[in-house]
Amino acid sequence: MPKKEYDVLIVGSGHSGGMAASILTKNGISCLMLNAGPEADYQRDRTTKAAHELPYRGFNKPGRLSHVYQANEFNANQWVDEKENPYTHDPAKPYNWVRVRLLGGRSLFWARQSFRLSDYEFKAAEIDGGGDSWPISLADLAPFYSRVEGIFHVTGRKEGWPQFPDGNFIEQSYPSDSQTIAKVTDLCKARGIGVSKMRSSQGEGGLASSINLLLPGAVDTGKLDIVSNAIVREITVDKKTGKANGAFFIDRHSKREMHASAKVVILAAGTLETTRLLLNSGIANSSGVLGHYLHDQIYGVSVVASVPEARDGKAKPGMMGGSAFIPRFRNLSKDKKSSFIKGYCAIIGSGGSASPNHFPAYGEELQAKLDSYQGSCVSGSIYGERTVRFENHVRINKDVKDAWGIPALHIDVKDTPNEFAMAKDAADTFEELFKEAGWDILSKTDKFYPPGYSIHEVGTARMGDNPKSSVLNKWCQSHDIKNLFVVDGSSFVTCGWQNPTMTILALSMRASEYLVEEMRKGNV
Amino acid sequence: MKRRRFLQALSTAPAVPALVQEANAQQPGRAGGGRGTGAATDIPHIPVAAPDDAADTVAKFFTPAQFATLRKLAGILVPPVKGNLGALDTDAPEFLDFLVASSPADTQTLYRSGLDGLAATARRQFSKAFADLDAKQADQILKPLLVQVPWVYDLPKDPMKHFLYQVHSDLRTATRNSPEAAKAVAASGRRSLSTTGLYWNPIDPV
Repeated sequence: MPKKEYDVLIVGSGHSGGMAASILTKNGISCLMLNAGPEADYQRDRTTKAAHELPYRGFNKPGRLSHVYQANEFNANQWVDEKENPYTHDPAKPYNWVRVRLLGGRSLFWARQSFRLSDYEFKAAEIDGGGDSWPISLADLAPFYSRVEGIFHVTGRKEGWPQFPDGNFIEQSYPSDSQTIAKVTDLCKARGIGVSKMRSSQGEGGLASSINLLLPGAVDTGKLDIVSNAIVREITVDKKTGKANGAFFIDRHSKREMHASAKVVILAAGTLETTRLLLNSGIANSSGVLGHYLHDQIYGVSVVASVPEARDGKAKPGMMGGSAFIPRFRNLSKDKKSSFIKGYCAIIGSGGSASPNHFPAYGEELQAKLDSYQGSCVSGSIYGERTVRFENHVRINKDVKDAWGIPALHIDVKDTPNEFAMAKDAADTFEELFKEAGWDILSKTDKFYPPGYSIHEVGTARMGDNPKSSVLNKWCQSHDIKNLFVVDGSSFVTCGWQNPTMTILALSMRASEYLVEEMRKGNV
Repeated sequence: MKRRRFLQALSTAPAVPALVQEANAQQPGRAGGGRGTGAATDIPHIPVAAPDDAADTVAKFFTPAQFATLRKLAGILVPPVKGNLGALDTDAPEFLDFLVASSPADTQTLYRSGLDGLAATARRQFSKAFADLDAKQADQILKPLLVQVPWVYDLPKDPMKHFLYQVHSDLRTATRNSPEAAKAVAASGRRSLSTTGLYWNPIDPV
């Protein structure tokens, strides 16, 4: 007999695990949450320092965190150590897996951009024939989005556009646009492109994480135990019933192996860790698609222009500053032909300065250029949807193990001509807009970061109605093991251009409430 | 540290209660047991100096000729401008010697080949070492190698152009982030938030 059997074991403590814990415990269900890393103490673990006080003067230790472009010497300790937790990929097919194992996971550090998916994503196959449709629609998820937006205090401007569904937003007044943002807006409107404002989770106290918005309430119920430094290596299954009954985990410090028992298992470790755990456990893969369809979004395309009238400190009040957000505007109509399918959103920022990289100059000449262009720049950048392909997959690499002896992932992802065509279209569009505005193009690139950089990886345990072509049903429940749920981004069929966090939270809430009812009925 | 300040700090530390010392001594296996700081409270803070305040970096990765070229480059690419310190004022070349020595092999090759390439070009064009060129001669070699880099992950394919971009960028960062620059900014009364940040300490390391 196990020492203690919980109703539900939750692996992972980020947004998805936190939401599951919140819903389940408030319905009287006892939960154990296992988190692979430690809890951060914001007072103890952070210190204000000058770059020269760091060992490498802010350069970061050479070779450390080579896949994490977001890392610098100030924040290097917040990311997962790639030597302790390796993964592999073909050098010709790079993948940037960006991980956090602290209690709260990546919810501690996300950018808080908060969007709903639209039926352009949920019904993707019907829109453009590219990829598959979800087994649910926006209407199914809308009530859950609304509740999540309430919890996360989302601000945004309602537009009534189908590709940019409105939500339960906090009313907010926006200051008047600067002349440059107004100019871009006018030029876009003339092209039939809608321009809006960023939608963002305000959270509380500047944080919109599971550790401040979800877990405290769950802990207050007395129904949640959280164990940190618990690295789960295998989900266990009762051979007689075929049901999941717990998990083996390894203490991060001592490497002592333990087993936790539960009636239901929920995986919320993040798309790739969840998939690694399922593959290492050898379960939930009768379809053969577990680990496939990995995708995220392209970031990096950008165009920077300088407003001549704003150079040399001559910008008049109201000319520069502010930003605009342009939701997907390409391929919304089947009538218009494009060189690519799907779409991208665009972010316009005004009032920035030029970078030294913009000028082939040095010394006094470079400084004079930087001074002249200070505050005169307008930039455009995008988040674009990557193609969803069976071929883009992960598998276990038994030859490489982490510091706890757990086999690592091998990631095999490649971009397609669609991504490159999309990136080119975006760069060309920005250039056209900025030139028409009368601004000087300082730089233009249609290059983008390797897959994974967006930290929006999803799709490796996709949901679907057909157990032969999907891992989960529409309730994020394993087709193979009825008491196994996956509530992180693994279940996505397509990620769209949107930050996936609101969708992950809404799906986790929906799956958790379904589980509550199924447990009440005795079906799980 | 000044001896007088150290003694002043010690004099403020409370004596450890004898009873606690005795209890710890009876349990030698317990953390904090025995002599030391186990039961001490209000332990004095002993200020220490930064190494750059007390000593010089020993440059040892580059050959003397390569290092002379690097110092010449530093003076040209990042000179003192508008009251800001230049790369040579902040020992940026010495810091880069350390940084490149700690870097992966491809970075080391980029630097060594780049510095040797500049030296070879100087000999070919002007029959002297790069370090001995005047400003006009150095410009003739360097300016054709300058390129705009709109995307920092798509660097020039030409190794000399790539090197010049990299060393220029690294010299700027090493200069801006140096203790000398920080002191100069502080002395001027200006604020420089760009080189100050919230540092995450190692969090419960294994």
